[in-house]
Amino acid sequence: MTKNFGNLIALQDVDVVLRKGEILGMIGPNGSGKTTLFNVISGIYAPLSGEIRFQGQAITNKKPHMICRLGIARTFQIVQPFGQMNLLENVLIGSMYGRGMSIEAGRNKAEEVLYFVGLKDKMYLTANEVTTEDRRRLELARALATEPQIILLDEIMAGLTPAEIEEALKLLYEVNRRGISIFMVEHIMKAVMTISTRIIVLNYGQKIAEGSPKEMAENPEVIKAYLGDRYV
Amino acid sequence: MLLQVLLNGVLIGGIYAACAVGFSLIFGVLRIINIVHGEFLMLGAFITYWLFKLHGIDPFLSIPFSFAILWILGYLLQKYVINRIIEAPEIMSLLLTFGLSLIIANLALIAWKGDYRLVNPEYAGANFRLASLTIPYTRLATSVFALAAMAGLYLFLKQTDLGRAIKATSQNKDGARLQGVHPATIYSVTFALGAAVTGIAGSLLSMSFSVFPSMGGDYLLFSFFIVVVGGMGHIPGALTGGLILGILQSLSTNFVGAGMTYILIFVLLYIVLIFRPAGIFGKGLVE
Amino acid sequence: MKISSAKLWIALVLIALAAVAPLGISGYWLRLFTFIFMWIGLAGSLNLLTGYTGYLDFGHVAFFGIGAYTTGVLMVKLGMPFFPAMLISAVLAGFLAVVVGIPTMRLRGAYFAIAMLAFAEAMKQVVLEFDGITGGGNGLSLPIYTNYQFFYYAMLGTVLLIIGTTYWFENSKFGKGLMAIREAELAAEVTGINTLYCKLIAFGISAFFAGIIGGIYAYWMTFLYPGDTFSVLITMRMIIMAFLGGAGTLLGPIIGAAFLATIEEILWAEFKYTYLIIVGFIVVFVVLILPRGLVGLFRQRILAR
Repeated sequence: MTKNFGNLIALQDVDVVLRKGEILGMIGPNGSGKTTLFNVISGIYAPLSGEIRFQGQAITNKKPHMICRLGIARTFQIVQPFGQMNLLENVLIGSMYGRGMSIEAGRNKAEEVLYFVGLKDKMYLTANEVTTEDRRRLELARALATEPQIILLDEIMAGLTPAEIEEALKLLYEVNRRGISIFMVEHIMKAVMTISTRIIVLNYGQKIAEGSPKEMAENPEVIKAYLGDRYV
Repeated sequence: MLLQVLLNGVLIGGIYAACAVGFSLIFGVLRIINIVHGEFLMLGAFITYWLFKLHGIDPFLSIPFSFAILWILGYLLQKYVINRIIEAPEIMSLLLTFGLSLIIANLALIAWKGDYRLVNPEYAGANFRLASLTIPYTRLATSVFALAAMAGLYLFLKQTDLGRAIKATSQNKDGARLQGVHPATIYSVTFALGAAVTGIAGSLLSMSFSVFPSMGGDYLLFSFFIVVVGGMGHIPGALTGGLILGILQSLSTNFVGAGMTYILIFVLLYIVLIFRPAGIFGKGLVE
Repeated sequence: MKISSAKLWIALVLIALAAVAPLGISGYWLRLFTFIFMWIGLAGSLNLLTGYTGYLDFGHVAFFGIGAYTTGVLMVKLGMPFFPAMLISAVLAGFLAVVVGIPTMRLRGAYFAIAMLAFAEAMKQVVLEFDGITGGGNGLSLPIYTNYQFFYYAMLGTVLLIIGTTYWFENSKFGKGLMAIREAELAAEVTGINTLYCKLIAFGISAFFAGIIGGIYAYWMTFLYPGDTFSVLITMRMIIMAFLGGAGTLLGPIIGAAFLATIEEILWAEFKYTYLIIVGFIVVFVVLILPRGLVGLFRQRILAR
């Protein structure tokens, strides 16, 4: 699968290709346009120029719900659970609407996914009642229930303890093993460097580097973007 | 004839624009649609009326009073009531300001009865002629004052520290916080400022239109129209929106019938919302 | 919220009582109950939209008015019998809702709310302008029908339909989609829900029911005046009834409407403005203290035990 684009005021000439089965990490200082890129891919913003292609099909101006149904799911940087609905219902929305299942079939799928992320025992609690970490898992579960081919993760590990990060990485490896390509934005360097097959780096809305994690760690442009000139 | 109608429209439009800026400002910074806005106008109008009726104070001189009283009211309302739901879903602020509007409007109805009042100092009817046009002094003066008030607000936001802090908060609340700006204070000040400017507009309104407790509703609709057309949160847009409304109303009243005004407003609103939801200049906040 | 069999029995008993009541009660009570049912229906119709999608409609009275006036005009000008006239009016109301909803629901809820207020005003003006057909400011007279039991049952029947629809919203895939929109619209959209489409359907259904009630009201009252029929005060009362009881719940509008309609019966004639001030305070109170309404309060107490 490929995605390539062009401009937006916050993004300039960004060209990205996501290959099937890979885990693509995206790093860059705050405000470099990472979330904007996700918003363009998921159809929330339209790019001024350029296009997005998914499995050979152009999806550039499609509405977000269509993009989800086609197979691209996402999570948000600030989680957006359906607060007054319980965890099961939250994930059920994913299986019913993202995957087109009926309530009964959707419920089975939702329970399966909740079990996978480790929330099954809490499934009758409302999203408002559970912890932030659980809400992160919930968001992941909801996205997974749509049976996507690609999942966009926006800083899903922010604020987690090292132990929780380990757990999260294990979960993501498993997601990837099941055939879902992952495109993730992450600030937690250790995590994103460990798990990604490839990394791209954004700064001020432009792609400044791309390559394996090892290459990125040694790339002077990247170091400069994060730490400034003096450290190169 | 047409020219006169257009001129009337422009003069009124300036006043309407001043009515809408407070609404726009409050939305731009606090992101709430303030239903009590109409009541702020009504209160400003009544302040002018009562000062005139009971103490013979010239309407223009009552303006500082409306400003001050509405400032205080706005500040208190925001700080103690509205602030409670500022982070809550939008429907809550709609409902809250709706409830407050019911309370204020009906208290006014009980206190002052529903009669239509007029503010008519001696110079009220005087006008001067320019070519074939008749220009009422009062209308012209209030219009100019309205523009001055809007210009004042615009400059305040652009040039003063406080004004810039307000602007910063409207664009990025967390970013502003990092700069040492305290959002809660900004919210109270902005709401107070919005209310106060609206109070001034109310006073100006009273000099051209009847004053009565349930007048708020119509002007709320007008303000909404103005900011949608001109762009929410954009002051120059409010001026344009006001002028459009004024001219539209003038044209429709003279050539089609007063009743059609609302229908036209709605149709125009509908069209703008379909094609240019961010307003004519495309600078309104839409998200 | 599936209903337990105990609650179902209670509901059936109440419905049975309501069904036979007209045989035993006098004119005043018959009228009062019809009035209460009407408000339950209005609050319930608003709840279908606002309670489940979170979009507040400040102009909902427009659909009530469209239902009322279209029924009136069809009966008077075209000699149509009541039922077809009422149904056509309701469908028209639903259709107009969708038309108006298309541009206004694409934006944030607050825009929708006030744009609807403008719509209601515009509808009132339309009725006033086209006075050849609608009687304008002089009002419209419908054929007289004094079988007040008929109106009692008509309102009751409509209310039962609305309750049924609400129950369906609570338990269906569609209803859950609406709730997702209410809770986090953007998230709902990226999870595959065509939010605009769902909102429009909910809006259309809600307007349809308001239209039915308007039609029944028109025939019941026999006279229609634009100022009263399109009054923003009607919308205000609908809103507060739905929220006091608990928006987005099955029982909420019923409780809220029954409660307030009863108070209103006592206060309206003498103390209209006082009543409205009380309503205003109730709104503020609900927002600040009881956002889930009385039903929410009740549930909390039950769960807390």
